[in-house]
Amino acid sequence: MSAVEAFAPRATLNIRDVSKSYVVDEKPLPVLRNIALDVQPGEFVSIVGASGCGKSTLLRLVVGLDADYEGEILLNGRRIEGPGRERGIVFQEHRLFPWLTVEDNIALGLDGSDEPQHVLDKRVRDNIALVGLAGFEKAYPHQLSGGMAQRAAIARSLVTQPAILLLDEPLGALDSITRAYLQKELLRIWQQERVTVIMVTHDVDEAVFLSDRVVVMEPRPGRIRSIVPVGLTHPRQRASVEFARVKGEILRDLSGE
Amino acid sequence: MTRLAVPLVLPVAVLLLWQITAARGWLSPQTLPAPALVLSTLIDLIRDGEIATNLQISLRRILVGLAIGTSLGLFAGALLGVSRRMNDYFGPIINALSQIPSLGWVPILILIFGLDETVKYLIIAKACFVPTVLATSQGIRNIPRAYIEVGQVLGLRRRTTLTKLIVPAALPTIFGGIRLALSNAWVALIVVEMLAATEGVGYMMVWGRTLFQVDIVIAGMIVIGVIGLAMDSGLARVERRMRRWEPKNV
Repeated sequence: MSAVEAFAPRATLNIRDVSKSYVVDEKPLPVLRNIALDVQPGEFVSIVGASGCGKSTLLRLVVGLDADYEGEILLNGRRIEGPGRERGIVFQEHRLFPWLTVEDNIALGLDGSDEPQHVLDKRVRDNIALVGLAGFEKAYPHQLSGGMAQRAAIARSLVTQPAILLLDEPLGALDSITRAYLQKELLRIWQQERVTVIMVTHDVDEAVFLSDRVVVMEPRPGRIRSIVPVGLTHPRQRASVEFARVKGEILRDLSGE
Repeated sequence: MTRLAVPLVLPVAVLLLWQITAARGWLSPQTLPAPALVLSTLIDLIRDGEIATNLQISLRRILVGLAIGTSLGLFAGALLGVSRRMNDYFGPIINALSQIPSLGWVPILILIFGLDETVKYLIIAKACFVPTVLATSQGIRNIPRAYIEVGQVLGLRRRTTLTKLIVPAALPTIFGGIRLALSNAWVALIVVEMLAATEGVGYMMVWGRTLFQVDIVIAGMIVIGVIGLAMDSGLARVERRMRRWEPKNV
């Protein structure tokens, strides 16, 4: 039970018939075609697919960094317009500001909040503790390992108490041991905060380990090929037959057979 | 120890060569006086207050010009860096004006202002403005897109975006521009004092040359070198202080 949980708003995300193209050499290049996806409050949904299938682009549309698309993206029934604090994002690179300490980086998410300072300080502290970085408040990003920096980035995205957390290959740049460890940490944070999560990854194993549902996309142009419910209880055993079966199903869909 | 000694190797070698040249009479004393003579001239100039008086006047010109030039440069550079439209309007004209050497402005400014102090301030300010405005706008425009996006996603206020993102991210480039501005200021100062002044370190050097007293010219060069180096390392120290967050071992 955390202090953050009590406030965590519930979020339903509806992606309705979203298409997007870039213009390359004056010709439109479709990157997303007719994407439709509904995400329930508290759900953990992963998107997997080969590079170039537009999965990261889709996340950028949801977070509001790119408004140039067709179709609709609704959060709790309202069309999203630009970035907002009810949507947090963690990028593949941690993107912490190198000139700010861990706590100052995380406090950025509370900028302009009119709550009293001690409340804000406590929220920063709570989120540092949540990601297991207590004791590193005054450290600068270059003094952290890749895994620790990514934890700080997760704390920065959670400090705004987002209804939905978007993860863009958040563990993609980490070594396999750190990655396995942070997968468990992500699971713990998700269960503790009950935040809705959409994670883009190219690691099928990671997707099956964490998600309620796995969206399989195919490239050129990016389309949804299938949505695979995982349906296993946590904690999941990677060596189990059921785990292997779900993983096999996703891999089959990915290879397009 | 070696770190302190290494920068001295070249000056000592030059000094030795200079001493040998003077002692062997390779160049006439009117062209290149011996180091000992220059040193005693320097001491005389310091003792009778000649240097102090001229340096005070020159430093005042440098500081006023630098203050005007860099603050206008920071302001204009920030506008050009932040606003694409401003850059479209004013970028090319500032670029064109900056191609004209500071020296090129001297004749017309003398016609307008006479031999007034204003001319010196304006020339030095112009010399400082150019590198500052270019470095500031470039420093801001080159802020990684990744950081800008973080600012957007976190919904940072304008003021926070300025103080926690734009300024720290652009600071290294801006400081490079300001240090270049300082060295430009010295160039402009000496040129303008040689052309259009009756006092100052630059004037002192012109005066020494017309008297064929090259020792005074070299003494002036030494003074400028020492003061310039001191001001630049002062700036470098301020910069280090503002960039304390950086890893120490690079």
